[in-house]
Amino acid sequence: MHEASIAESLIELAEKHLREGNHSAVSSVTVRIGRLSGVMPDALLFAFEALKGGTPLEGATLLIDVIPQGGMCKGCEKEFSFDGPYISECPLCGGAEFSVTRGRELEMTEMEVA
Amino acid sequence: MNIKVVSRILEANDRLAEDNRKIFRDSNVYVINLMSAPGAGKTTLLERTVSGLSGKKKIGVIEGDIATDSDAQRIAALGVPVVQINTGGACHLDANMIREALSGLPLKDMELLFIENVGNLVCPAEFDIGENEKVMILSVTEGDDKPLKYPLMFERASALVINKIDLLPFVDASVQKIREDSLRLNPGMRIFEASAKTGSGLQPWFEWLNQKGK
Ligand SMILES: Nc1nc2c(ncn2[C@@H]2O[C@H](COP(=O)(O)OP(=O)(O)OP(=O)(O)O)[C@@H](O)[C@H]2O)c(=O)[nH]1
Ligand SMILES: [Mg+2]
Ligand SMILES: [Zn+2]
Repeated sequence: MHEASIAESLIELAEKHLREGNHSAVSSVTVRIGRLSGVMPDALLFAFEALKGGTPLEGATLLIDVIPQGGMCKGCEKEFSFDGPYISECPLCGGAEFSVTRGRELEMTEMEVA
Repeated sequence: MNIKVVSRILEANDRLAEDNRKIFRDSNVYVINLMSAPGAGKTTLLERTVSGLSGKKKIGVIEGDIATDSDAQRIAALGVPVVQINTGGACHLDANMIREALSGLPLKDMELLFIENVGNLVCPAEFDIGENEKVMILSVTEGDDKPLKYPLMFERASALVINKIDLLPFVDASVQKIREDSLRLNPGMRIFEASAKTGSGLQPWFEWLNQKGK
């Protein structure tokens, strides 16, 4: 639901990087959006298209890498992936001590500039 | 040319939130970001809390709503400093809005600041506003499936008030399930069961708050 604010922040962040690097044009912006972040990629794309007009990102395409859920277990010391919004035990060993390491991303990663 | 620019999309907000946090720390104000779906009872709980902590904590309130100042009027009627933020459509408060609201509050004369976020179970959890803790309210009328449907907020909140327990005889929600699922998402969560309307169950909540900032 807050994809409009996210798109707005993204455009401001990209503008800042453009200014700092003295770049004149940008053709694409790439972001990483985790499945646990609560941000819907389609809604973000829609908001970006609606808000980019009149900004230096007017001609830019938004590329979204959707990052699936993943974790790291302290018991078996292995990485694992999972589906759904939460997980209560390590799917590999059943251990309860693990951390969610992927899926919460909400970051910009790169830009294609001129 | 491809440039790497790895940064959190909300980094500008995060930075402003850190500025707010410093202002709060310098003024010795402990800040609670109160979040829930629309109508779960945030303002009613705050009204009760102002009376429950009177003589113990000096309280201030920031009210966030999309429109109207009716919630701020309810709080102002209790003689507590309050500022209303109207987000004009935005579904959450952000750090910049809080920063602007601070000029309207006597921070030096306050110990506990409650920020009532916009009623919404999704968006407010993503935006740091400089608070010490996020607290959420879930009313039993919303159903006991909400923790697993809206996990982000339950993960980020340090405490949960299960509200409107006076209505339990009329709804199909299981407090036990709300507790279990919330703790599954967030094992350290402190959980209260209360009715902000009748006042029952609020004593542990007052005591918990009274320890804050000490
Ligand atoms: N029965 C019952 N009603 C309650 C309780 N707490 C709040 N209410 C009622 O629920 C309605 C909404 O309460 P508010 O305190 O305005 O809720 P809110 O979360 O501040 O609402 P928004 O700011 O609009 O999101 C009001 O009619 C309250 O009287 C409760 O514990 N029991
Ligand atoms: Mg309210
Ligand atoms: Zn394991």
